[in-house]
Amino acid sequence: MENISGSESPTQISSARAPEPLSFTGKGGEYFGIWIVNLLLTIVTLGIYSAWAKVRRLQYFYRHTQLAGSSFDFHGSPIKILIGRVIALVMLVCYNFSVRLQSSMTLVILLIVAVVMPWLLRNSFRFRLYNTSWRGTRFHFRGSVAGSYRVFLLNGFLTLITLYVMAPFMHQRLKAYQHDNSYFGRTQFSFHARAGQFYLVYLLLLAAIVAFIVLMGVAGVGAVFITIFQIQRQGGRVDPALLIRTVLILYGAFILMAVSIGPTFRALITNLIWNNTRLGEHRIECNLSPLILIWISVSNLVLVALTLGLFMPWAAVRLVRYEIESMRLVPASDLQEFEAAEPESLGAVGEETATVFDFDISL
Amino acid sequence: MLQANYFDGRSTRVRVVSLSVAGEDLVIAGEGIDFRVPFADVKVDERLGLAPRSLRFKDGAFCEVRDLDGLDTLLRSTAHRDGRVDRLQRNLRFVLFSCVACVAIAIAAYRWGLPWAAGEGAKHLPPVIGKTLSVQTLKILDGAILTPSKLDQERQQALSAKFHSLRLQEGGTPKSALLFRRSPQLGANAFTLPDGTIIVLDDLVTVMGDDQQILAVLAHELGHVHGRHGLQLLLRSSAVGAFWTFYIGDISSLLAAAPAAVVEAKYSQELERQADDYGAALLLHNGLSPGLLADALQKLTESHPGASKAGFLSTHPSTDERMRRLRLSRSAPPN
Repeated sequence: MENISGSESPTQISSARAPEPLSFTGKGGEYFGIWIVNLLLTIVTLGIYSAWAKVRRLQYFYRHTQLAGSSFDFHGSPIKILIGRVIALVMLVCYNFSVRLQSSMTLVILLIVAVVMPWLLRNSFRFRLYNTSWRGTRFHFRGSVAGSYRVFLLNGFLTLITLYVMAPFMHQRLKAYQHDNSYFGRTQFSFHARAGQFYLVYLLLLAAIVAFIVLMGVAGVGAVFITIFQIQRQGGRVDPALLIRTVLILYGAFILMAVSIGPTFRALITNLIWNNTRLGEHRIECNLSPLILIWISVSNLVLVALTLGLFMPWAAVRLVRYEIESMRLVPASDLQEFEAAEPESLGAVGEETATVFDFDISL
Repeated sequence: MLQANYFDGRSTRVRVVSLSVAGEDLVIAGEGIDFRVPFADVKVDERLGLAPRSLRFKDGAFCEVRDLDGLDTLLRSTAHRDGRVDRLQRNLRFVLFSCVACVAIAIAAYRWGLPWAAGEGAKHLPPVIGKTLSVQTLKILDGAILTPSKLDQERQQALSAKFHSLRLQEGGTPKSALLFRRSPQLGANAFTLPDGTIIVLDDLVTVMGDDQQILAVLAHELGHVHGRHGLQLLLRSSAVGAFWTFYIGDISSLLAAAPAAVVEAKYSQELERQADDYGAALLLHNGLSPGLLADALQKLTESHPGASKAGFLSTHPSTDERMRRLRLSRSAPPN
């Protein structure tokens, strides 16, 4: 993995300072109380309270995330999140209905969704970053609207007409758009991963899927042969139990593939992205292990299913703790030096308007 | 004296300060800082587990406090009161109550809410949806497991004529189209598409001794048509699938299909019983015995060896139980 995730730095930054690991101090049991009370309030208010619950959830996770002895924080307003959710719901319903019911309206609705979506996503990034802070200094996102149309519409279109051959390229462009336009206070983030590196991770993913399909094919053909053999031995009668067993084994193999490929891809691509992102002169390191991520995902899934969902808070805390603690900041200079952006430097379309038009559409 | 980290909101510089209360004011003192603000102007973060809490001032500056017990002591000497939800989150009794309430609501929603919503939804969905879905479903099935029927045209027409001359209790005759197909995999069977089209497989016609038994099976299928069970099932499984995708989505959106399949099997049992009851009443209404459906079920069971072992994943309720119900309903008055 070294060649994929290793930082390709044009100028080697020498740093005498020790890396600052990110740490997460949240606990599942502690989060459970917050989670279940907010869940009940959400149900009782028919979902309206979910926006307040989301703010609390993000604050719980952000405030328990520490860097150099200080916590992150989230400042989003629940009302904006509620507005964002209503918009997202309306779009989802429109999209679903138009896809299922193929009529003359389908194209019109899809067109509206396509035109509005990039603008919404860009405002959503802006909302999320503007409302995130560390040591009282806020993050910012200054990506242009034109840039978001290029990244989502133009590249999305190119991906479709090239039958997804350009998907890794589009992913790289999206991350560059997000990270190159992000700021912490006045300090800009920069993104250095090249499209070639994204292609490498995607090719690995493709190879893993192909290998698994071949394996499953071999297993499937074998199972069919055994079944036919058994049927012949029993004089042409089909034993449903045997058929069910065969199907279950194949289904189990499929689930195994499904649950391990996702986390593996996530580990590789997350490492690639963060190892090639810098905040000013400070480097970021991310070292997620695919095996540990598979283990956490699979065991979480099993435990959530066995507890009818009640394990959810522990599952979330476990996953977040592992992901956060595998990251660290390698400072090039003192972390005390960051300065907040001056309000006047933001211009007319700065965060003041952001507070009017921005909302969060993510769940 | 309470230790805190002071941030001015303009840079990331940390300044260690100590906090104390003097009268109505909060006093902040430390490295080059010494000021006091009326406590009424200070916003105190709610408690979220053991996360640090901040005291926020109007100019964007704030003090991050990690000594939560110390902060509680300090807050007790002020007019500050924790928010209602903040207190509920830390109240063990309320947490337990929430736990029980959430589980109870989930069970009730699944047991009663979902079937009711799916039933209402199926009633009010525009017919075009059922039509579109059925055309697409049939196209897929025709390519995969269904082949053209080998029954001769006359036989097909005779069965169709008998089927369409059944008198429905709600008035009129069946409007469902009857299609004939063959399927070695499915054997003797009949099923209903979401728009009410009934598909009869060749083996069903050959396995049944007489046309009355075939009509009995079709009467059962008309029960599915009448209750719009196809659409209901579709709505239920979509809702369950959507819920699981949403709920498990944080961990993995891949297993969403599995629970939906189990759920569907359970639901179908209820719907099969409803269809049996409708079919039995329909047979009585046409001067036929509901026992015919029981006989037909018996024949079907014999033609599918091993299928009577109703398992957890079985779509149909135990056939013995259904036959018992049907034979009992022979004496029931038509309603």
